[in-house]
Amino acid sequence: MNWVSSRSKILLMLAPTLIIFTMFVVYPVIYSGIFSFSRFQGFGNPSWIGFDNYTALLQDPFFWQSLQNTAVILVVALVILIPASFALALLLRRAIPGRGVLRALVFGPAIIAPILVGLIWVFILDPKIGLLNRVLEELGVSPIQWIGGDYLTPISVAIVFIWSSVGFAMTIFYAGLQMLPADVMEASALDGATGWQQIRFITIPMMRETFAIVTILMITNVFKIFELVYMLTGGGPVHRSETLVSYMYYVTFTNQQYGYGMALAVIITILGALVSLGYLAAVRRKEALA
Amino acid sequence: MTIDIDAIAHAATDSPRSIAPARRRKNRRSGVIVGIIAYLVTFLIVLPLLWIVLLSFQPSSNILTNPFSLTHLTFDNYLNAANALPLLRMYGNTILIAVVSVTVGTAISFMSAYALTRMVFRRRKAQSSVRYYFLAGLAVPIYILLFPVYRLDLALGIFGTFAALIIPYVAVSIPFNTLLMTGFLREFPAEIEEAAIIDGVGLWRLCWSLVLPLMRPVIATILIFNIVYVFNEFPFASILINNPDMVTVSLAVSRFQGQYTVDYGGMMAAATIVLLPQLIIYAIFQRHVIAGMTVGAVKG
Repeated sequence: MNWVSSRSKILLMLAPTLIIFTMFVVYPVIYSGIFSFSRFQGFGNPSWIGFDNYTALLQDPFFWQSLQNTAVILVVALVILIPASFALALLLRRAIPGRGVLRALVFGPAIIAPILVGLIWVFILDPKIGLLNRVLEELGVSPIQWIGGDYLTPISVAIVFIWSSVGFAMTIFYAGLQMLPADVMEASALDGATGWQQIRFITIPMMRETFAIVTILMITNVFKIFELVYMLTGGGPVHRSETLVSYMYYVTFTNQQYGYGMALAVIITILGALVSLGYLAAVRRKEALA
Repeated sequence: MTIDIDAIAHAATDSPRSIAPARRRKNRRSGVIVGIIAYLVTFLIVLPLLWIVLLSFQPSSNILTNPFSLTHLTFDNYLNAANALPLLRMYGNTILIAVVSVTVGTAISFMSAYALTRMVFRRRKAQSSVRYYFLAGLAVPIYILLFPVYRLDLALGIFGTFAALIIPYVAVSIPFNTLLMTGFLREFPAEIEEAAIIDGVGLWRLCWSLVLPLMRPVIATILIFNIVYVFNEFPFASILINNPDMVTVSLAVSRFQGQYTVDYGGMMAAATIVLLPQLIIYAIFQRHVIAGMTVGAVKG
């Protein structure tokens, strides 16, 4: 391939991506990193204040609230989503008439814009006009403040997140199931293994990698949750239902505390990476022990 | 490359061939139960969408008092929504942004992916370093880019034009495009291209009429993945577009709550108007969309 590889041709082929990527991805990351050490209101010159933004974050109750909410969403989402989507993959693999259509319907929410997902769920969760409380009312249960109350919003957000991701996770599990060798299943069935034993002792151990992929993806996606909160509660009342990203958006663009917002963005990036890496390390250690 | 879900499904037949009659009967009954569960779960997942559609036909007075009633369904909400929404404009803007950013992003990623896998660098190390440089972008959450990109757009004087939004969309698509394209090209033998070069084909024709057609499946995946992303994107759009004439679909949806306040029927009709085309397109290209959106997860 030497013939087409003159230096000018290589440069010509690489230049557009290199320039755009460096300017609009790499430079902004560095910019955020630097400005997180400044106080900047959008006009005049930023003043350099060292780690003040970061120490201020540690004393910001809204930061801790949004961190806690994100953690709650993460835990609720993972504990329900992973088993549910795996079970759904097993279910929709059975010989059910029209299962192709069912799989497509279950995946459907994944293609709807998050902002629209948020709007749709307002009409399910809203304490006054939402479907959920309407149904509860018919059953004689007193209404529950699913969103906008003091405590429940993060759990409701987690449920909406599960709704929009379950089909996506199911599809990855489904693809993983298809890659399992059929002869292992046949052999174990001949040995008298029940369906449950097959799942517990063969399928799940063999799909460890798929579980890891789905878990990492879902962790990263939870750290990106923003539009759902934006539409469901706007972070309120008084930042009670804020996630890390929605709080960062508020601080940066509503309050225009740019330096502080950048510090928050840096923390979110690092936290997201740490949780994913921590999970990966845990999986590795478990594999080494097994 | 793409996961052809139905083909895989057909290859793995679920029913074992020879089982005793008693067990088969038991299987049939449990099969019916499994089927019912599957349909029930799917119904629950689709329910929120059905609810929105039902509300959109409900007169606004009914939504607060008697939302389950089916007797007074009306089309008025749609007429109101169609009048109030800048439908043509918001779809026009979004399609323009999506077509330009996805075309440009795919084209330039293709060029660099080709250089990074096929062309011969004087220093080998440089080649793989540049590839990792792009791939590192996969770990960057877009939220850290929002404010800097806003400042950059202002500094470049493109704020207020569609380019302000298009260029960041191109930029954030580069890591994923690079991952899939270099992955494909590395597995694909270069012999055909070498033969073509010996026959005197130049770089342009080589890429355009030989390599690009070979990469059709990857390109399709990349196009679908990026179009879905751009169509649904909200954070960048909310900051980089401040001109009401330039709203995207997501931006318009984000304003429904303020725009319709208590006209819930109108809001739901507007939501359905946005939802329906997307679902219809999804229904048509269902298999490709699912493959396109999940292949990155499986590959990465």
